[in-house]
Amino acid sequence: MAETSYWTGSEKYLCDPQLAQAFHMARTLGMPLLIEGEPGTGKTELPLHYAESMKLDLHVYPVGSKSNVEQFVARFDHVKYLRDSQIEILNAQREEKGLDSKLSTGGRNPEMLADYVAKGPAARAYGSPNSVLLIDEIDKAPREFPNDLLYALSHRKFIMPESGEEVSVSEEEMPAIVITSNREQELPTAFKGRCIYHYIHFPDKEVMQQIIDKHYPQLDEKVVKVALDVFYHLRRLGLERAPTTREILNWLKYVREASPQDAVRKIEGLEGIGALIKTQADMERVHRMLGSDPRQFSMN
Amino acid sequence: MLSSLPESFRTYGLAADIRTVLLLRKAMTRGLITTLGDVYNVLKGIVVKEPADMGPFTKAYYAYFLNIDVKNGETLEDAILRSETFKQWKETVLDEADRNIDIDMSDLVSRFLDEVHLTSYDIKEVVSGRELFNRSDADQADEEDDSINDEPVERELDRMADYSDLSLQELLDRMEKIKEQQKARHGGGSHWIGTGGISPYGHGGAAKNGIRVGGTGGGKMARKVMGDRNFFPIDRDAILNDNNIDAALASIKGVIEESAVEKLDVPKTIKTGLKRGGLFIPELSSDKNEELKVIVLIDNGGYSMAPYIRTVQNLFRKMKTRFAHDLETFYFHNTVYEYVYKDERRTQRMPVEKLLSYDKTYRVFFIGDSAMAPYELNSSSIESLQAIVKKFRKTVWLNPEPLRYWGSTYTIQVMQQIMPMFPLTPHGIERAVRKMNAKGGG
Repeated sequence: MAETSYWTGSEKYLCDPQLAQAFHMARTLGMPLLIEGEPGTGKTELPLHYAESMKLDLHVYPVGSKSNVEQFVARFDHVKYLRDSQIEILNAQREEKGLDSKLSTGGRNPEMLADYVAKGPAARAYGSPNSVLLIDEIDKAPREFPNDLLYALSHRKFIMPESGEEVSVSEEEMPAIVITSNREQELPTAFKGRCIYHYIHFPDKEVMQQIIDKHYPQLDEKVVKVALDVFYHLRRLGLERAPTTREILNWLKYVREASPQDAVRKIEGLEGIGALIKTQADMERVHRMLGSDPRQFSMN
Repeated sequence: MLSSLPESFRTYGLAADIRTVLLLRKAMTRGLITTLGDVYNVLKGIVVKEPADMGPFTKAYYAYFLNIDVKNGETLEDAILRSETFKQWKETVLDEADRNIDIDMSDLVSRFLDEVHLTSYDIKEVVSGRELFNRSDADQADEEDDSINDEPVERELDRMADYSDLSLQELLDRMEKIKEQQKARHGGGSHWIGTGGISPYGHGGAAKNGIRVGGTGGGKMARKVMGDRNFFPIDRDAILNDNNIDAALASIKGVIEESAVEKLDVPKTIKTGLKRGGLFIPELSSDKNEELKVIVLIDNGGYSMAPYIRTVQNLFRKMKTRFAHDLETFYFHNTVYEYVYKDERRTQRMPVEKLLSYDKTYRVFFIGDSAMAPYELNSSSIESLQAIVKKFRKTVWLNPEPLRYWGSTYTIQVMQQIMPMFPLTPHGIERAVRKMNAKGGG
């Protein structure tokens, strides 16, 4: 039976109930979950923490501009195959000449085509029941990738190149598939149609406080409060690149070594704000609007 | 059952079809749907495909399942208060509640929303958290049910606990019946929501057991969605602003020129050569090439243009980062004489001749209100503009001024004779781009 219990997060990961429900729904229906949202809202974290806390196998496919379905599913290693078949010939020749020592093919047999199939994350995930498959940042992929993927995902079956071996999975043992996107490019409608869609909203102060608490439970409450005030104030400035969860966590990491008083002073002085503000234009804007001393903008 | 759902949802601009219904049914068979809030949740996952769908989806849902029609620009709260469904629901609540308690309308709407959006997840939480509804409670409820009929809440609770036993057909029938009742305004009896309804932990239960079922924010979300412009489809004829900038960006994408050239694919040649056992035959691949060369000329002089400059800059900056191509921005004041300026403050001058030395494949966007004193549009200015239009065949003017004023502004009319002018709206940009592409050549 597929792992379809309702998962609400772990000690380290605070899963928004809406997201948890969408995830549960996707698993129950055996469909991929497509998560979109601002960068730094924890899209990628969900499957990672889920796999960890449920002790499931995790297979990750980070998408890039050169991604193709071959990498994702499996490819046939022609070079190795050629090399091994040459070795066979060589060995035969050596034997003829009465040489004992043989060249090794590393346990691979050129007769067995399956030995030369390099399985990608998808084939591996489908091969292990109830695993978790993460397809990260699909919007980075070439235009046709999502559609190719669609076919592969909806058939629950891959045929390995050359060897013809079939890797299939029953609907019950379907891996939990999570796809993330930063919306840098629109995904094809047909693709979205096959996924359960969830858009992560930026967490509000309350939720953010809980998130911080999960990461740095020892942090002084007052420090967190001051940092949150500054953080949400910065987000309201309408910056080109508004700071996200990741950035505030980094910032707190920077100040957490200090004593609470020092930390508050550092935050109020916007020390190490380079962790939050990522462009020069934004930095100038923050400087102008908050009127702080630019010398404090340097990150130690 | 539910066969009219796709049609109804499509009128809200949502992508719903027969597969939507099939998926919904599948979700029911898998036990994902036991309350109306679940229907909302599941349908949201299936139907909503981008954040902008949220608003129309919520609207479509309220119209279809609750017969609450949210008018354009109306808040969800107002629509609910106005609806027959809410009035009926209110009656039953008030019947049960202590009439002496002052009831705040806004509170009541919140309660209503909580009930509508109550999901089985919330129920699970309550049940596991409080263990309120153990067997003895249920038995008691049954007894009460036999004697007097004023305790429908507990009875429903019991049924709720056994909802998993309900067959799909029963569930479907139930939904259909409830929907019909909701439609036939004289309902009475059981409603989707309310005492005999599908949400067992409703108001009565909450009051009696002293727990408040808050939902997981579904109600809050819905309320937010209806009031939040981010969740509504962009008015494509509204002047460019931060909300519709992405729609504009999508329109402007059309200026990318695609070309394809055949070239020798070395890795593929090697790969297939190896497959053939060392026989190498050249493999060709077509290399797609996207080209985007744009010059943007922004009128940043005077107060009339001030509100638009930032958005326009944002638009083209986004365009640059998203498509990462050749984009040049210059500034001018009202009209172009011998110079354009490289910086916003208009201190670094660049002669128009230099601009004219750019490659003729550049597409040129003028952005300005074209409102100026008639004497500013003198022969020197007109010559410069005409030279630009002559050199760059794909030149358009985008104007933030509402279309209806164009006819009455002399300088706009003159400018329109020099180059095609379009409103600075997503729709206008789209038309401008189409015009550019249609011209051909360049």
